[in-house]
Amino acid sequence: MIKSALCAALAVVLGAGVAYAGNTPAPKNSKVYIIWPKNGQVIHGGKFWLRMGNRGAGMAPAGIKKANTGHHHLIIDAPLPPFDEEIPADKNHLHFGGGQTEVRIELPPGKHTLQLLMGDHDHVPHNPPLFSRRITVTVPK
Amino acid sequence: MRVSLISALAGFVLALVPVTGETPVLAGDTPAPKDAYLYIGWPNDGEIVRKRRFRVWFGLRNFGIAPSGIKKKNTGHHHLIVDAPLPPLDEEIPADKNHLHFGAGQSEAFVELSPGKHTLQLIMGDHDHVPHNPPIISKKITITVR
Repeated sequence: MIKSALCAALAVVLGAGVAYAGNTPAPKNSKVYIIWPKNGQVIHGGKFWLRMGNRGAGMAPAGIKKANTGHHHLIIDAPLPPFDEEIPADKNHLHFGGGQTEVRIELPPGKHTLQLLMGDHDHVPHNPPLFSRRITVTVPK
Repeated sequence: MRVSLISALAGFVLALVPVTGETPVLAGDTPAPKDAYLYIGWPNDGEIVRKRRFRVWFGLRNFGIAPSGIKKKNTGHHHLIVDAPLPPLDEEIPADKNHLHFGAGQSEAFVELSPGKHTLQLIMGDHDHVPHNPPIISKKITITVR
């Protein structure tokens, strides 16, 4: 509710026709979340399987255009990228174009942020964009 | 004694192959990596579930999800087997109340079960709903719904 009000306000402020999301409609009532780790989790050794959670939408590999599907992107130690263009592919933006729902991650000691963002067949976020809460994990020295 | 029985059996099976002239079919035609790992993330084996309608998490490693009908290497879609044994591994997984298909590419689902003991098991199906080769199967778990 707040999010959509904010988006609407933004659209008004920036003028009509400004793209703040991709062209692929997001599945209704879907939710993206990180199943594990939990926010605030301390991860000894820094190696873990990250579980990607998705309710109400399905997974499809990159390149597959099908309603109500997309694929996961994991954002590590970075803010959300622009919603109206392709999600970058680098060490801070991991793509799971194979339709994966889990990934083995290795993080160096320190605090890290993790956030999921769904991308459509072209790696562009949906409209409205589907992203998880950003969580923080700590890898002890 | 046991060992000799097994080797005798193995010998018998091996002897059968040349006779019938074909290898026994144990899986579908779509290849899968040996390290693909399927498991039920929740509930846990032995869990007492306090709601009749609950969410099941599909755990999958080293493999991806694609909606049914999509043919892509190292992908498939989930099937949840409820209170039933594994179906034949070389044909289409049945679709009925004991074999739930998640052909939209879901990675979790609500399930509603009557109070009592139930078994749950996951199996991946390819674009045609046929298990892979080797088949990707989770451990079968038993839960109690209160």
